[in-house]
Amino acid sequence: MPPKQIKGEYIETDTGNKVSRKSVILGSQNIILGGKTIIQADCTIRGDLRRTVAPGQQSGNVAIAVGRYCFLSRSSVLRPPGKTHRGLYSYYPMKIGDHVFVGEGTVVEAALIGSYVHIGKDCGKFTIIKDCVRIEEGTVIAPNTVIPSFSVVAGRPGVVVDELPETAVEGLELKNIYRTI
Amino acid sequence: MAPFPTIHISCPCNDSISIAPSKSSASRKAPEHDDPEESDMTFDPGSARSNFSLFPLENLLYCEDCNQIRCPRCVHDEIVCYFCPNCLFEVPSSTVKTEGNRCTRNCFSCPICFASLSVTAADESSTSTSPYILLCPHCFWSSAEIGISFEKPTSITAQLAAKLKLPSLQPSSSSASSFSTPTESYFPASASSTTPTIASVETTLTPEEMYARLKTHYATQRAGSGTDEFGTSPGALSRLMGLYSSTLSGSKRTFGTSLGVGKQTAKQKPDWHEYEHVQPTHDESTLINKMRTVGFTGTTSSQQRIIQPHHPLFTSQLRPLAALLRTKRSKRCRACRHILVKPESKVTTTRFRIKLVAMNYIPALTISLLDPTSVSYHSLTPLNTHQFLLTVTNPLFDPINVTLATPQRTPGRFPTEVTILCPDFEVGANTDVWDEALASAGATSGAPTGVQGSQGKSRRTGKKTGNTGTVWDAGRNWTTVVIEIVPPLIPVEGGDSDAEGEKKITELDRIVQIPVCVRVEYETELEREDSLSALSGREQKEKREHTYWSVLGLGRIGKFGGVKSSEGSDTLGSMDSMPTRPMGRPSSYSVNKPSAGPGLGVDAFGASGMGAAAAVAAAVRGGRKA
Ligand SMILES: [Zn+2]
Ligand SMILES: [Zn+2]
Ligand SMILES: [Zn+2]
Ligand SMILES: [Zn+2]
Repeated sequence: MPPKQIKGEYIETDTGNKVSRKSVILGSQNIILGGKTIIQADCTIRGDLRRTVAPGQQSGNVAIAVGRYCFLSRSSVLRPPGKTHRGLYSYYPMKIGDHVFVGEGTVVEAALIGSYVHIGKDCGKFTIIKDCVRIEEGTVIAPNTVIPSFSVVAGRPGVVVDELPETAVEGLELKNIYRTI
Repeated sequence: MAPFPTIHISCPCNDSISIAPSKSSASRKAPEHDDPEESDMTFDPGSARSNFSLFPLENLLYCEDCNQIRCPRCVHDEIVCYFCPNCLFEVPSSTVKTEGNRCTRNCFSCPICFASLSVTAADESSTSTSPYILLCPHCFWSSAEIGISFEKPTSITAQLAAKLKLPSLQPSSSSASSFSTPTESYFPASASSTTPTIASVETTLTPEEMYARLKTHYATQRAGSGTDEFGTSPGALSRLMGLYSSTLSGSKRTFGTSLGVGKQTAKQKPDWHEYEHVQPTHDESTLINKMRTVGFTGTTSSQQRIIQPHHPLFTSQLRPLAALLRTKRSKRCRACRHILVKPESKVTTTRFRIKLVAMNYIPALTISLLDPTSVSYHSLTPLNTHQFLLTVTNPLFDPINVTLATPQRTPGRFPTEVTILCPDFEVGANTDVWDEALASAGATSGAPTGVQGSQGKSRRTGKKTGNTGTVWDAGRNWTTVVIEIVPPLIPVEGGDSDAEGEKKITELDRIVQIPVCVRVEYETELEREDSLSALSGREQKEKREHTYWSVLGLGRIGKFGGVKSSEGSDTLGSMDSMPTRPMGRPSSYSVNKPSAGPGLGVDAFGASGMGAAAAVAAAVRGGRKA
């Protein structure tokens, strides 16, 4: 449970996002926050790492899309994944669902994260994480890994070690944590 | 280190697996007599059986028909669908039957680190003509290390099977065809005495070849033949009929030899014998020499070895592991067969058609130290009084009356003294409105934030007291009470107290585990729309109750007063001569110590010498009177 913050630490947006003044947000025009999402101090969101396109070609403007009731703990980093495709290094958009908890100091480079996902630490490039997943602290998920729903992932590299019960949605929802900030 | 505190709930199926479904609504009503008196004994968290009955609330289901919690042990699982965890494709159960429970697409995991492998061009700089390999993105193991590359990036499973010459996936290969011809030298008649030949042949076969042979045998048997005397019947049926007719008519034909096909297949099937995981080698020197050359890094770890079907000794013999399929399962009550959980069959959805989980039926417990700064969960001070806040949260839409009962001293070698200051209280009804939840922020579900979080939001306007008989705090659908424990002093091992013949002190002895019997009583409107109740015109209320044992893991007992372990025995000696027992840190709250007044208020456990079961019953009875 994060401690109560001093008033003024967060900037609240119209949709109820609370963004710490001490967070680093680059390329904010390419970032979508769904609402009621909390971004704590020292977080870095790299909205500037946008897909490189050939001149004249139109591309989607969104680099990072985050859903509702997400919680980005201190010093976590959201960074769109990048790779060389046909000799050209490019970044790919990152999509994060609702009720996603990102632990302290975690670097997220996933391509897709579903809803009700708890990430303790470190998530690899282009990872696809489906809904209702719990990633234990200190896990490093190898690039291109797909994590199915109702999985508990641990280890380096992260492998599925357990199944979440049917109550995973209730256990992973973050509405209460939003109220405490 | 296990995080504290922990809360587990005991499923009663521990005692009897065949819990008969209760006789519908009649037994749903609260019984007239106090049956805990005769039936309930103190639950011992340390007993060997407890390991199998304790579950966190999230893992428990609830059967509405039995009016009982159901744990993973007392439900039946039924597979709804199979799917590959990597490509998330559903695999039809017929395919699972024929191809096995592994993904047959391109999903493999690394034999070294078990991360999922990706299909990559072997030489990234070159263009399309280059071969493809399976590459581990984590440890950079690649199939090239075992000399395997692929021509195309699709249907890797078939390509790999061809490369590894797995005959099971090549039914037209030489191994299969050789069986169709009579090979008397390989497979003499079953009664023959040339068993050494069989043995020598079988040891030369690789497991895959052996498997393929068995598979062909069963496939031929299953396919049967339509040319037998029973004509058009399927193979299985004709075999069965053949069996009957041969035995009943007393003819010379015996099963397996009656038909031409049967004769062949019977010969193809090798004698049953257990596979040796350790392959015997007559000459170990080659193995030793190989180990010497490849070194430690060239041999497999036990984990790597055991996961592979052929248990390779060297990393050069490792193979990519095809992804094991996962399942979506529905769950049934073991006692009444009613369905408790039914997921939607689509692989990627997380929704459920039916989901009867215990957290919607029985109150949730949460516990935390009253003053988290005073002591760590991992080093509770022996003989000191520790105060915890126990919060009961009600998921039901009716107010509930909760009675908590706990033995005065926990079971086990080193009992902890326990006192619940207010064992009988009410918890308000749950509501669906989230706005109301927002109004009582901070402490709605599972997060009693202690002193700071609950100011101004509690139903009770009075100040919080640790007095016996009063609740600490309460909100919309939750109530918090204070629970006091005095952990025992555990003698240091090797000291004088550790007499010979006594059991060694285990880590389990150092964990404070408190069994709490939670009894819930409430009145609810009748669900059935009886004509009688409709006629009477007034609200029909029904009294219900539910009782369960839960175990609170409050922490680990630390050292007494920071004494070093080497001086432990001295401490014990001095303890005996101490005139008074240490009373712990000065509490800022006025707390009536149990010793100060036994029987004060509704503290049913103040009276000493009361048996645990009697104490439980007394508490329950006291609760009912109140
Ligand atoms: Zn059970
Ligand atoms: Zn697959
Ligand atoms: Zn690997
Ligand atoms: Zn049932």
